[in-house]
Amino acid sequence: MSDTTPGGHSDDYGTELRAQQSSDAIASRLRQRDMKTRASVKLGEKVAKWVITIGGLMVIVAVLGIMVFLFRVVAPMLGGGEILGNVRYQLDTRQDTIWNNGDEFQTLGTVVAAEGRVITFHIPTGTEIARTQWDFNGAEVTAVAGTLARDRIALGFDDGTVRFAEVGFASTTTSRRNLPDGLRDLDARDRELDGRVFTEVGTGDFRTLSPVVSLGESQAISDSAIVALDYRIGGTRERPTLSFATVDAAGVLRVSRSRVTVNMMTGAETVDTTTVELPSLGLADGVSVTGILLSGSADRAIVATDDGVVFRYDLRNFDNPSLAEQRRVASEGVAVTAMTFLSGEESLVVGGEDGSVGVYFRLQTGTDATTDGRELVRAREHTPMPAAIVDLSEAQRQKEFSAVDADGNVWVYHSTSDRVLFELARSGDVTTPSTAMIFPRSNGVMLVSQGGEVEAWQYRDSHPEVTLGVLFGRIWYEGYSEPQFVWQSTAGTDLAEPKYSLVPLIFGTLKAAFYAMIFAAPIALMAAIYTSEFVHGRVRATVKPMMEMMEALPTVVLGFIAALVLAPFVEEWIAAVLLGFIAVPLGLMVGAFAWQALPPRIVLRYDGLPKFALMAMSILITAWLAYRAGPWFESALFDGDFKAWTTGRIGTGTPFMFIILLPLSYMAVAWGFRRVMGEFWRGRMRSMARHEAGRLDALRWLVLLLGAFVLSYAVASVLTLVGYDPRGGFVDSYQQRNALVVGFVMAFAVIPNIYTLTEDALNSVPGHLRAGSLATGATPWQTAMWIVLPTAASGVFSALMMGFGRAVGETMIVVMAAGNTPIMEWNIFSGLRTLSANIAIELPEAVKDGTNYRVLFLAALTLFIMTFVLNTIAELIRQRFRKRAFQL
Amino acid sequence: MTTATAPEPTVYHLRRSAEGSALDIRDFNLWYGKSQALHDINMEIQKGSVTALIGPSGCGKSTLLRCLNRMNDLIDDLRIDGQIQVGDFDIYGPGVDVIALRKRMGMVFQKPNPFAMSIYDNVVYPLRVDGVTKRSVLDETCERALRSAALWDEVKDRLKESALGMSGGQQQRLCIARGIASDPEVLLMDEPCSALDPIATLKIEELIHQLRGHYTIVIVTHNMQQAARVSDNTGFMYLGRLIEYGDTNTIFTNPKKKQTEDYVSGRFG
Ligand SMILES: Nc1ncnc2c1ncn2[C@@H]1O[C@H](COP(=O)(O)OP(=O)(O)OP(=O)(O)O)[C@@H](O)[C@H]1O
Ligand SMILES: [Mg+2]
Repeated sequence: MSDTTPGGHSDDYGTELRAQQSSDAIASRLRQRDMKTRASVKLGEKVAKWVITIGGLMVIVAVLGIMVFLFRVVAPMLGGGEILGNVRYQLDTRQDTIWNNGDEFQTLGTVVAAEGRVITFHIPTGTEIARTQWDFNGAEVTAVAGTLARDRIALGFDDGTVRFAEVGFASTTTSRRNLPDGLRDLDARDRELDGRVFTEVGTGDFRTLSPVVSLGESQAISDSAIVALDYRIGGTRERPTLSFATVDAAGVLRVSRSRVTVNMMTGAETVDTTTVELPSLGLADGVSVTGILLSGSADRAIVATDDGVVFRYDLRNFDNPSLAEQRRVASEGVAVTAMTFLSGEESLVVGGEDGSVGVYFRLQTGTDATTDGRELVRAREHTPMPAAIVDLSEAQRQKEFSAVDADGNVWVYHSTSDRVLFELARSGDVTTPSTAMIFPRSNGVMLVSQGGEVEAWQYRDSHPEVTLGVLFGRIWYEGYSEPQFVWQSTAGTDLAEPKYSLVPLIFGTLKAAFYAMIFAAPIALMAAIYTSEFVHGRVRATVKPMMEMMEALPTVVLGFIAALVLAPFVEEWIAAVLLGFIAVPLGLMVGAFAWQALPPRIVLRYDGLPKFALMAMSILITAWLAYRAGPWFESALFDGDFKAWTTGRIGTGTPFMFIILLPLSYMAVAWGFRRVMGEFWRGRMRSMARHEAGRLDALRWLVLLLGAFVLSYAVASVLTLVGYDPRGGFVDSYQQRNALVVGFVMAFAVIPNIYTLTEDALNSVPGHLRAGSLATGATPWQTAMWIVLPTAASGVFSALMMGFGRAVGETMIVVMAAGNTPIMEWNIFSGLRTLSANIAIELPEAVKDGTNYRVLFLAALTLFIMTFVLNTIAELIRQRFRKRAFQL
Repeated sequence: MTTATAPEPTVYHLRRSAEGSALDIRDFNLWYGKSQALHDINMEIQKGSVTALIGPSGCGKSTLLRCLNRMNDLIDDLRIDGQIQVGDFDIYGPGVDVIALRKRMGMVFQKPNPFAMSIYDNVVYPLRVDGVTKRSVLDETCERALRSAALWDEVKDRLKESALGMSGGQQQRLCIARGIASDPEVLLMDEPCSALDPIATLKIEELIHQLRGHYTIVIVTHNMQQAARVSDNTGFMYLGRLIEYGDTNTIFTNPKKKQTEDYVSGRFG
């Protein structure tokens, strides 16, 4: 090309040599230059490399660290419990023991023996602390029952009398100064004097426990021996109602209610007992009653027989009790050998002669088989024990219970989580029948055998109510008619069953994200396509930063706008809002057609920013029109009351389906038109000037639109005829804080994300492809749809995933505007609770290391994994896309 | 190098074709922002003949070519002045349908730019864009265009395969097939062979020979031999001006202008 010779050689060597030399010279020059720049560049490079490496590693470490931390908080929840200790000793009685009780600190135990000897002992050592002898006046105890707290018992005798008694504990605090002299050491921790046990409680004070043992007067109930008995205390502390149910040897069932009135002046107690006889069970010969249970408010009684049947009495009308239900709970000939209510009395645990352990709920099913429309439903079936169940004893504050079988096995169950928490190992004699109790704090079991042998275990299981099944499966909770996913971590009372299913929260998260994407995806994609493909660089330069600025909007601001402004507004103007969803796109299209039909001179003149402003105007105008026409729209389509319509009480599903189906119908009609008339129409259009064609095109559009209206209405009507109604599905009764509002506002939070990434993806489509398409006479729209979008598809998809991930993790908006009801329905007009909102709401009040606390951490872990997976997928797709874009 | 002396007028020695001119560029000026890229271009492009545009890099060849089908429209701050007449209308006149205009002109770019779709879809893309859905029409067009682009025999068995799997030369011929699929009047080519090896280049040149007469072809090239081989008329541009425009033989063997002579003999650029 050029004939200038490199260097200034003027000697006479051959050209080859000259070339050789000159290339050497160039090489050495290059080398010199290299040497000069190397030092600084090398240093900079090294520093940069280190900084980047360390930074990157730290990010990875941080992410992993968070994951590990979350996991470590969660992990203990899914492990089992552990036995901390176990003691065994013989008390000073060989008589049958009929009742036992222990205090909540597992310090003192009291055992009542059949002959009336009451022994209080120190549980860790077995040392006797106090002893009382009750005088039963020669009568023999034939039945005994106690309240849930086990400190009040009722004794039934062979002469048909019943006596109340107390076997409780009094707990006070003694300061070190007032500690009496002459204390006897029981063990390293406890000291004793005169039936009182002192335990140091860290602060220098001493917890002082003493037994409270007393026996009441006998009351005659029956002529024959009492064979089964239950006893409950209801009412208030000042005016307690003592209720007890008895079964006598003649098979007569009675319920008695004693009102105790304390005279304020004298302090004297008057006991006023009324007794009613229950309707007969009508048992066959040879079938006998094995137990009776009474509810705390004495409104129902359950009687079990040795034939595998339980009877339920309805005692709400105390003077006129009725036998409400008779239900077989075990196969014929299999006796019900033990029964108890779980705390809260919603669940009835039934133990069978065959070792089965079943749980029954009394559910309102509206059945005709019972007198009150309720029935006992077998809701849970726990792991059966090896032999007949002889004793069931419930925990006071948890849905836990202990069961003892005829072989002497002692198991601790948790009902909600359907787990056998412990199969306690016996160290002594297992042949003598025993009864067990769970200590009030659900951290130990005391077993007393008929021969007076005591065995006690101390254990720890901090999270018995949680399993993976509870967290992610359907659980049949108390009071529910079927197994469900429920989140209800706390309730007003201790007796309620905590419900820890994460599924409604995951569902809520996905629902919120889904509805957010329904708004965000089209808007963000359209906006990105618009700015990247249609507008001049100047407009893009203003629009893009504006969109990106939206990202800087604090979501809490969006949240309270959603909750305080938008939610009430949408509630009031719901019809106008719905109309707006149709009207705004239509308005935009009308604007576009109007623009096409304008004379070319004006079109050219106002292209760019003015056109953009005009589009914004068209949105505003249609929004205003929708607002004005809202009431008219509501009365025309929804009988004048949209909210009433959503409940399904008035109107049909047609109008709503009509609206939903409009876009689809339009597509169908447009497609049909193209199929049938396409060629002809193109011919016509080509022969016309641009703005004339524009007018004609607008006309065609109007006709198509009309067609779409008709088609949509027809299809909606057919759907209604077929019996389909959207109400009850994705439309249902209206709540102010709902997915529509949340979706709409959250869309604003994710649009900038999706928009920016999509815009970038579209922009990175090589310009020569765009040029290639435009050069063939494709419109910018066709180019965008057929060339740019498919080429950028993975980038766009990853942008959508990122947006979805963002919506999944979004917190403040949902906290403020979603209503936070953890329900599982797709209804766009109902609220929801997301994982993130749930954490924000409940974590401040969760007890550290409690079950709720750990479950919330699991929620966080779940959320983390969800967003992590979404973002990773998005990133992988983007990487692939980059590679492909590079090839083009 | 050259100081701003009064521009000398273009020298013309045009070889006119029987059908007259397809494009008539009149007093055409173009500015990118403040800098003028084209100065007073007057040029009649002859129907059915091959016109080559040559000149050093940056002289405005591509700019001029892109003006012919208004591919410059998307560039910000672009200002033009003058006319380009196609038949009886000015392509920069008011109310011109750019889309329709582009449909009358095929364009082939420097770098092969097949779309990420099948060979078949690439070729019939202009028809699809035009709303043609009839299968038979598409099939027929595809075969015709590929045959015209001398590609049919090579790809007829793999029409459904991705166009990205073809060689560079094949891709460029595919782009030519795409450019002529909608049967345009004019075919614009901007350095169609610069990314190709000599054999592929030869094929494209043969193709241009075959297409001569059916289409009006405007080709921008840096390869002087190529211009000499394929074109009937050649325009030499320099610094945004058309220096000399006329019969290719004359330009290369007996240029009327010193600058032309310097350029074609390789003395500058
Ligand atoms: N989009 C643009 N914006 C601003 N200036 C441009 C643009 N495109 C080209 N130019 C300028 O216009 C002049 C002509 O460019 P053009 O691309 O037409 O040259 P060319 O003759 O095709 O060169 P080459 O042979 O290198 O392709 C150059 O100075 C270039 O810098
Ligand atoms: Mg060029």
